[in-house]
Amino acid sequence: MSPEGLTGASNVAFGVALVMYLAASVGYFHHLAFRRRGVLVVARGTAYAGAVVHAVSLIARGAAAERVPWGNLFEYVTVVGFLIVAAYLVVERLWHAEAVGGFALGAAVAALGGATIAYVPPGPLVPALNSYWLWIHVVMATLASALFTLGFVFSVLYLVQERREERLAARRASVPAREPALVAAGAADRPEDYVSAEEPEESGAPVHPSSRSRLPAAATLDRYAYRTIVFAFPIWTLAVILGAIWAEEAWGRYWGWDAKEVWSFVTWVVFAGYLHARATVGWRGRRAAVLAVIGFAALVFNLTVVNTAIAGLHSYA
Amino acid sequence: MASTSETIYRSLVSVWRSLRSMRTALILLLVVAVASVFGSLVPQLGVARPAVFRLYVDHPLRARIYETLGLFDVYGSWWFTTCYALLLISLASCLIPRTRAFRRGLGLRPQPMRGLEGMRHFTETTIPVAPERALDRARGILRRRRFRVAPVEPGLAAEKGRARESGSLLFHWSLFLVLVGAVYGKGFGFTGQATVVEGETWTEAHASYDLPPDEGRFFAESMHQGFGVRVEDFDAAYHPSGLPEDFRSRVTLIDGDGMPAGQRVIRVNEPLEQDGVKLYQLGYGWAPVLEVRFEDRLLAAEPVVFTTRSPNDLTAPWRGVVKLPSLEPDVGLELRLFPDPVAGLVGGPMLEARDPFLFYDAWRGDLRLDRAQSVFALDKTGLQPFGPGGGFGLGETARLPNGVEIAFTELREYTQFLVKRDPGTGIMLAAALLTLLGLLPALYSSRRRLWVRAIPADRSGTRLQVAGFAMQRRAAFEDEFRSIAGELSRREGAGEPAAGSEPVG
Repeated sequence: MSPEGLTGASNVAFGVALVMYLAASVGYFHHLAFRRRGVLVVARGTAYAGAVVHAVSLIARGAAAERVPWGNLFEYVTVVGFLIVAAYLVVERLWHAEAVGGFALGAAVAALGGATIAYVPPGPLVPALNSYWLWIHVVMATLASALFTLGFVFSVLYLVQERREERLAARRASVPAREPALVAAGAADRPEDYVSAEEPEESGAPVHPSSRSRLPAAATLDRYAYRTIVFAFPIWTLAVILGAIWAEEAWGRYWGWDAKEVWSFVTWVVFAGYLHARATVGWRGRRAAVLAVIGFAALVFNLTVVNTAIAGLHSYA
Repeated sequence: MASTSETIYRSLVSVWRSLRSMRTALILLLVVAVASVFGSLVPQLGVARPAVFRLYVDHPLRARIYETLGLFDVYGSWWFTTCYALLLISLASCLIPRTRAFRRGLGLRPQPMRGLEGMRHFTETTIPVAPERALDRARGILRRRRFRVAPVEPGLAAEKGRARESGSLLFHWSLFLVLVGAVYGKGFGFTGQATVVEGETWTEAHASYDLPPDEGRFFAESMHQGFGVRVEDFDAAYHPSGLPEDFRSRVTLIDGDGMPAGQRVIRVNEPLEQDGVKLYQLGYGWAPVLEVRFEDRLLAAEPVVFTTRSPNDLTAPWRGVVKLPSLEPDVGLELRLFPDPVAGLVGGPMLEARDPFLFYDAWRGDLRLDRAQSVFALDKTGLQPFGPGGGFGLGETARLPNGVEIAFTELREYTQFLVKRDPGTGIMLAAALLTLLGLLPALYSSRRRLWVRAIPADRSGTRLQVAGFAMQRRAAFEDEFRSIAGELSRREGAGEPAAGSEPVG
């Protein structure tokens, strides 16, 4: 196929994948609200199929440009979107986290939709990017970004759910006799377990504090967020280290406080803070989750404002 | 009544105490993150010097305020240094007692068993084996699962997952190694820039850089290496769309004795390394060779380095200056080069030389060469326009009103290298790898403790008690504990062939 043909195929597949992610997201939300098993199966199938179509789009784009398909901002965000879906599907398998599927797929839709703003047709790389380090540095950075995005989704849901559980506990305290079953099952009556470990307790099935809440319990969401971020953190560390090695190769210094480097560092520090916060009394739970949200904000800022508004060596990516 | 010195001492102790808390370290970490953000929002002298100067012109007051706060050099400012120095002190004060405790723990005897029944995980079974034999088996099974096992009357204590603490310590101490690498590399290194025209040879020595190189505190001029590079050829390749494809300098390495030592290529992403000094492809430009004659006297015959205001915009002409102080009065020329006038005059990018053409304006008077000045600009305070100016192509000659002739004999390119020595990169790489190496077990391994007690029961059997707990990953430990306890209490012969049942003979 000609480069033009491949580009066209890639763009069509991209659009199809975007629509499929959107449909899957809607399906997961439907399942969350109405618990129809069939809808879940269809949503999951659509997500898998969307990921396959998206992979085809990426491959076609790589073929059209005759290089790896992550050489500019559009491609970078597209790959992050793909990895969000892939990571979510893995997470769903491991933890049966179907309840958050709509949010995760929604994040992927946002990534792909946002990427289109920065769309450029496939083209050659600028000389500074023409290096084998592009492969590994960007793969690590996109993978960590995707996982941090999932961590962000879990953390936001945690904040929502935690607040709701708190409200419920307060109401329960004021009307003690009305809902005895909830008192026995709620997470709030086991605080000593919760603060005793970096990783909250998971023995004992996560019990919904309210029959109306279909999301996992706050403690469960917190655990999801922690596990995602603790997995992503070394990958991000590696991405930063590889970036430094590459910068030494390309620009003659491993660290020059370029805007991109600053914000990668800030992201790293905030997530390091998140990991420490969970081991620090008084910072667990809500404050840690807020840190995860801030870390994600730094990540997004690095991709959007730093790339477009702040001149720097990374301006192309 | 407390004396002043006592008050100071007390407050120092309380500061020290708060530095030692993890909460303080955490807050300092976030302060460093916030502080470093300023450096990306305000232009930095080290990265974007022109933007800083522009701010002084456009917003003098704001620039003055920024300067007072050190915002133009955030990462070298006293307050940023204070922040990360405090962070490192706080980190060290957390790490030292932890490291001590860790080392003490290495030699410490395992804790005696007390209250096994009350532990989070506990099982008890009776097995028809003598207690000693049961413990022997337990020791084997636990060792196979990579537990450290020690005898504790009346049974065994086992532990696993020390890597968590050792990894965490390794990770945090490696951060100090990062600092060592940065300071050492900067102190014994230098950074400079060299512009070399095709055909010329450049020598790695203090005096041969465009500007005096930025040398570290412990770097001596004699530490320059003295090798040279002769630039044979520079080549800038472009895609048909006009986007740059490749920049490469072909050079001949010249050793310290002036002998050629092989051909090398310097490209973006492919620096040349020689004697610990690296040359990076940084920039390039045009260098017309101009022969200036006056009454058959050759005044100059050199390539003149032309520059462009923005290397990314190749539609603009390149600018160069020729200074002729040997004439009376001085003459200066301002030149504009169109490497490809056909493309350039319609506003297109001039990617390669095609019928290159020079425009010039002549000036006469006092060049004021007794003052420090740029080689790329004329100081016009003492100069008057001289003649109408004009243009001439490659191979042509321009003639000034006083009879000076300027011949455009050749168009060469020059290449620019970033030249750098940083002996700290090895330390940095090691520190980075150690950081990762420590991070993985620190984040992913979990500490677990187990106790096995064997109590003699009737008919030479054993009441085997197993208890334990995990400090992290408790859910995963639940399964692990169940599996271990199951294996320990399994009747001999069920899982493996027991000695007694072996066929005899």
